[in-house]
Amino acid sequence: MDGESRAPSLTLPRSGGGQAGTRLGPTMQGLSVRSRVKLCAFLFALPLLAILALFEIAPLLAIAWNSLHDDDGLITLANYAEILGSRFQRSAFVTSVLVSAGSAGLGILIGLPVANILRFMPVRLQQTVLTYANIGSNFTGFPLAFAFIIMFGLSGSFTLLLAKLGIAGHLDIYSTAGLVVVYAYLQVQLAILLLFPSLGAITPEIEEMATMVGASRLKFWWRIGLPILSPSLIGSFILLFANAMGTYATAYALVGGNANLVTLRIGELAAGDVYSDPQLADTLATLLILVLIVPVIVEQALLKRSRP
Amino acid sequence: MTKHGKDAQRVVVGLFVALQVLPVLSVALNAFATDWAGSILPEGLTWHWAGQIFADPRFTLALRNSLVISFGAMLVSAAVTIPAVLAGHCYLPSLDRCLGALVILPYAVPGIALALGLMRIYSGQYGVQLNGTPWVLILGYVPLGASFYYLPIKNNLRAVPVRELIEAGHLVGAGDLAIMRRVILPAVIRGVVVGLVMNFALAISEFVYANLLVGGLYPTLQIFMNVLRQGSGRLTSVVVTVYFVVVWILSTAVVAVMARRED
Repeated sequence: MDGESRAPSLTLPRSGGGQAGTRLGPTMQGLSVRSRVKLCAFLFALPLLAILALFEIAPLLAIAWNSLHDDDGLITLANYAEILGSRFQRSAFVTSVLVSAGSAGLGILIGLPVANILRFMPVRLQQTVLTYANIGSNFTGFPLAFAFIIMFGLSGSFTLLLAKLGIAGHLDIYSTAGLVVVYAYLQVQLAILLLFPSLGAITPEIEEMATMVGASRLKFWWRIGLPILSPSLIGSFILLFANAMGTYATAYALVGGNANLVTLRIGELAAGDVYSDPQLADTLATLLILVLIVPVIVEQALLKRSRP
Repeated sequence: MTKHGKDAQRVVVGLFVALQVLPVLSVALNAFATDWAGSILPEGLTWHWAGQIFADPRFTLALRNSLVISFGAMLVSAAVTIPAVLAGHCYLPSLDRCLGALVILPYAVPGIALALGLMRIYSGQYGVQLNGTPWVLILGYVPLGASFYYLPIKNNLRAVPVRELIEAGHLVGAGDLAIMRRVILPAVIRGVVVGLVMNFALAISEFVYANLLVGGLYPTLQIFMNVLRQGSGRLTSVVVTVYFVVVWILSTAVVAVMARRED
């Protein structure tokens, strides 16, 4: 970018990024035109910035602020102490983490081979699969839960089919294991979307070289493929994990209040008739965000270190 | 590609199609089944349930509300996000980096946390009463959908020599606005179309904001499904089928747009 901006140019105003100091005497008019263009560009961005501030940043600050105050508006850590001291709330975090890690793991395990096979398909087919996966990852909440109830519920077709085929042990979708399966439905599609672009790093040359030195497929993936992909595997896992940790609608529609998940507890504290407690809801939500932000920060730090 | 590889491809595409079709098919069958209890396939088909739902004013209202909110959110998001992304990419690199982080943030922050925050701010305590109106959804969905424009537009722009184009435009005496409208915008139009559809799909699928912030005051399809849950599974199936059909038509439209790219 900077190299470009030093290229000889007419005295016409340059668009952003150019270092004025490196050029000899930009005219006063040139400078003011450039800064006017920048100001104008900023004005075009202003509506979005305002909405992001009011509907993304402000709500987060509001719950963080609320979580640190008691009913009388005094600063306190009592809300945090109450949640961390409650075995019930702690177990909600444990269940959420297990369901999220399990479904994210399943998503990667199934999504990676699928994304890999996708690499060898015609571009048009690739795009079709990716687009439907993209839209499919929106099939959340009530419609998804309902479809699973019809397929795998107590008298669902697949439950009956599996029973008829003599496959014992039907899947109880209203259980925690059921949640993992329903979440995994979304996670696989998201994993395909996230992993497909990074598979470009495994070029035919690398694979050919591995074949020439006599590495088996398994050995190739274990020694070369997975290490190459590891940054994006970790990144994708964290994103899938965060996605599952934050899932509310699907769990709410499937198990109602029966599963002890953090998001369901938050919903109950925020809008429940019996258990309503706004401060505790905000505290729980703030803790949930912290649990999700920490892995992202650690991952970014590791990435920076591995690429000096 | 070996024979083995081709088979693997077929299996994968088949599985993927099954993954997408089976849930929809099950719900649709349930919507049109006469009697479906204790058997793998229903005994007969009927329009009875569909007729009942389409005659229900609550359904028509929910469908209308959902369309108003989805189109509203889509138009507002597009109108504020596209100029901002272009302005950032072409003129303000530091703003661009900032936007990149802000649009990704909702991926890491759970929707229910944001919904709680909106509940605290816009319930009238600070003189602004948005909760209970469609506006809190239309505006609230903007941050959630911004990445749908940001990412594909940035992808398209990476292939475009923006600086050179702007300079060339200046040489022939065109203003920056005209260059944006005539040269840069057409270069990213496909990214914009994909963003529009994804944004619409998000808005019509969203439940957490709709349930916590608006609920019965402006019921959407998702809210109506949740209300119906207590009643007949057949009626719910019809509503879910309608939702699936709308989203599928949209997906197919995107596939068509993407396919035209190569022609």
